[in-house]
Amino acid sequence: MLLGFAAFGWADEPITNWLTNPEGPLARTIRSNFYFSMAAFLPFLLLSEVLLVYAIFRFKAKPGGQAATFHENLRLEILWTVIPALTLAITAIPTYKTMRAMEVPPKSDLVVAVIGHQFFWEYRYPKYGVQFAEEAMVVPAGKVITLNLSSVDVVHSWWVPAFGVKQDANPGRITHAWFQADNPGRYKGQCAELCGKLHAKMYIDVRVVTPEEFEQWILEKKGIAPPDGTMENQ
Amino acid sequence: MSDRPKGIVHWLTTTDHKDIGILYLVTSLFMAVFGGSFAGLLRAQLSAANLKVLNPDLYNQFLSMHGTVMIFFVIIPALAGFGNYFVPLLVGARDMAFPKLNALSYWLVIPAAGLMFGSFFVQGGAAQAGWTGYVPLASRQFSGTAGVDMWILGLHLVGLSSILGAINFLVTIINMRAPGMGYFKMPLFVWTWFVNATLILFATPVLAGALTMALTDRAFGTGFFRPSEGGDPLLWQHLFWFYSHPAVYIMVLPGMGIVSHILPAFSSKKIFGYKGIVYATAAIGVIGFMVWAHHMFTSGIDPRLRAFFAFMTMVIAVPTGVKIFSWLATIWGGQIRFSVAMKFALGFIALFVMGGISGLTLAVVPFDVQVHDSYYVVAHLHYVLFGGSVMALLAGVFFWFPKMSGRILDEKLGNVIFWLIFLGMNITFLPMHWLGIVGMARRIYTYRPEFEFWNQVASFGYILLFAGGMLLLYNMFKTLRKGERAADDPWGAYPLQRTLDWSVSSPPPVENFAKIPEIV
Repeated sequence: MLLGFAAFGWADEPITNWLTNPEGPLARTIRSNFYFSMAAFLPFLLLSEVLLVYAIFRFKAKPGGQAATFHENLRLEILWTVIPALTLAITAIPTYKTMRAMEVPPKSDLVVAVIGHQFFWEYRYPKYGVQFAEEAMVVPAGKVITLNLSSVDVVHSWWVPAFGVKQDANPGRITHAWFQADNPGRYKGQCAELCGKLHAKMYIDVRVVTPEEFEQWILEKKGIAPPDGTMENQ
Repeated sequence: MSDRPKGIVHWLTTTDHKDIGILYLVTSLFMAVFGGSFAGLLRAQLSAANLKVLNPDLYNQFLSMHGTVMIFFVIIPALAGFGNYFVPLLVGARDMAFPKLNALSYWLVIPAAGLMFGSFFVQGGAAQAGWTGYVPLASRQFSGTAGVDMWILGLHLVGLSSILGAINFLVTIINMRAPGMGYFKMPLFVWTWFVNATLILFATPVLAGALTMALTDRAFGTGFFRPSEGGDPLLWQHLFWFYSHPAVYIMVLPGMGIVSHILPAFSSKKIFGYKGIVYATAAIGVIGFMVWAHHMFTSGIDPRLRAFFAFMTMVIAVPTGVKIFSWLATIWGGQIRFSVAMKFALGFIALFVMGGISGLTLAVVPFDVQVHDSYYVVAHLHYVLFGGSVMALLAGVFFWFPKMSGRILDEKLGNVIFWLIFLGMNITFLPMHWLGIVGMARRIYTYRPEFEFWNQVASFGYILLFAGGMLLLYNMFKTLRKGERAADDPWGAYPLQRTLDWSVSSPPPVENFAKIPEIV
């Protein structure tokens, strides 16, 4: 089903996401977990649909036909309770491992505070005393970026599909996420929690650059907007 | 009963369960026209990138009201309608336990609908915070006009209606079964309503509490959900979903009951695994209260909660699977007659399995986090609520219309309606799975150009759904005027199924049974 879609319907620009072109180890782990789960679940989908279609053609009423009279079979009923339950238990194992990978980041190379506003994002780099809003977030490639998210007004959600990250930004609470993007480039995302009138326009733009370019960018940012000393350290 | 008032006075004063059932169903149909039209406006706006059919404010109003109307004013009242009409009939009772309370339950829906639709005409328009009404967006600070207040009060009224109805159903089912009808002789539609009423009774008061908190936060500045007052926006999410997840089962269980009558009737077999289906229904009812936070996997809740709720969400798939396999075993080896009711019931299985499996993928937290609040979830919930609840309701309409009206809906036209809806449903919602996976957020009035193609396909699918809906209305209208007369048991279901609905005339007489039947 999914691969069928992949062949059609793409406009001129490729869409980056965790499934067709995952960026970094976290997104790839999520994709493997997805494939594993689909391998476990899809047989049940196919089995049910195939049996349904088969029954529809096979058991069409015929003149003088006699319907079967069975209406219980304990062994069968136990079987179709136990087999799905076991399948799910097996699926849970890699799922929990992946959840742990999402929740416990490797050692952080860069902390960025992400703050949601109606209807734009503000980014703060406490280590460098850099802060700005309404422009692309810039991060170095191949580094572990940890995010501390919050909001000044309503609930927003920071979602960049290619990195495998979606995390709500709530007022009055700091939430966490992490990612690592290995290839320089631009990655698009958008706010994923209805946040008001212009929710649809609350885009996210992330520029992944080489570590050298990143250092250069920090210097430029500092030159334009020197730290004012009021920045909070998260 | 010649002293019964006629015409409009009759409908305004009736306490007869069958009349109230019909009132619920007609109301639901009427609301579906609005809820469906709202969806049409949304699909029109999304039929190409950067259109200006609706401005962002109106888009968010129709978005919020589409969800609210379809859930609280279409699906739930329609199931209540069938429940009102058929539960007393199926248990061999002359009416619901509390007929006047029953009328009150129905009449509460009308002012509730008035508040909802009226809110479009107040300053600032209807609520714009989605049917989920998340705070702080729905708070006074960010939604200052009366729309959200009217939305809250409207939900309070339908909630009260549901709670009173649930008490009525429980008392009716527990106390008014015909002699000899033990619990394990109850038809499955009664069983599903029994579990359903229990769910409503436990879940809806929690929604009422949450709504009251939201209302006092708005009106008096209490701080239940405001961090600056020591409150927490996540508290709303917990309370809201504590109701609204069971509400999904509230919306689908009675539909499963309807399907469990239709499949055996048109296969000339008995339902397979009756007890298994009963236990599965009860299990879904209980576990349904332990999965709510799977709607909150990205909200920043404790990782241990994510682990627990992911696990329970997988667990609930097991009893759901039991039902699906039991239905397949029911038609297996049967002599299947493809009436329109049967086609909708089979379509229900096909689509509900899709919705069930896509729901299961959402239990896989890493995947859920990727597609949460994306079009994947829109696809999933429509496979469950449209493919599940609505297909089951339509099956019920074709199955029971002869019993209720004494006339059989046009089957040829019904066949066209089935295919329009079945295909339209898939064309509209199947591509949305993909849109969500590649990054299209839900609840957006415009989208980046790369998402255009599949949105056009989805909007085309809507046209088929709309045509199907209109033809259904026409079919009912035409049939009521000059449709084929229905016998007491038009589908030949009674000899094998022995359900009491087919043992009485079509429509049944006032008070159903001259002599209360004995069940052997």
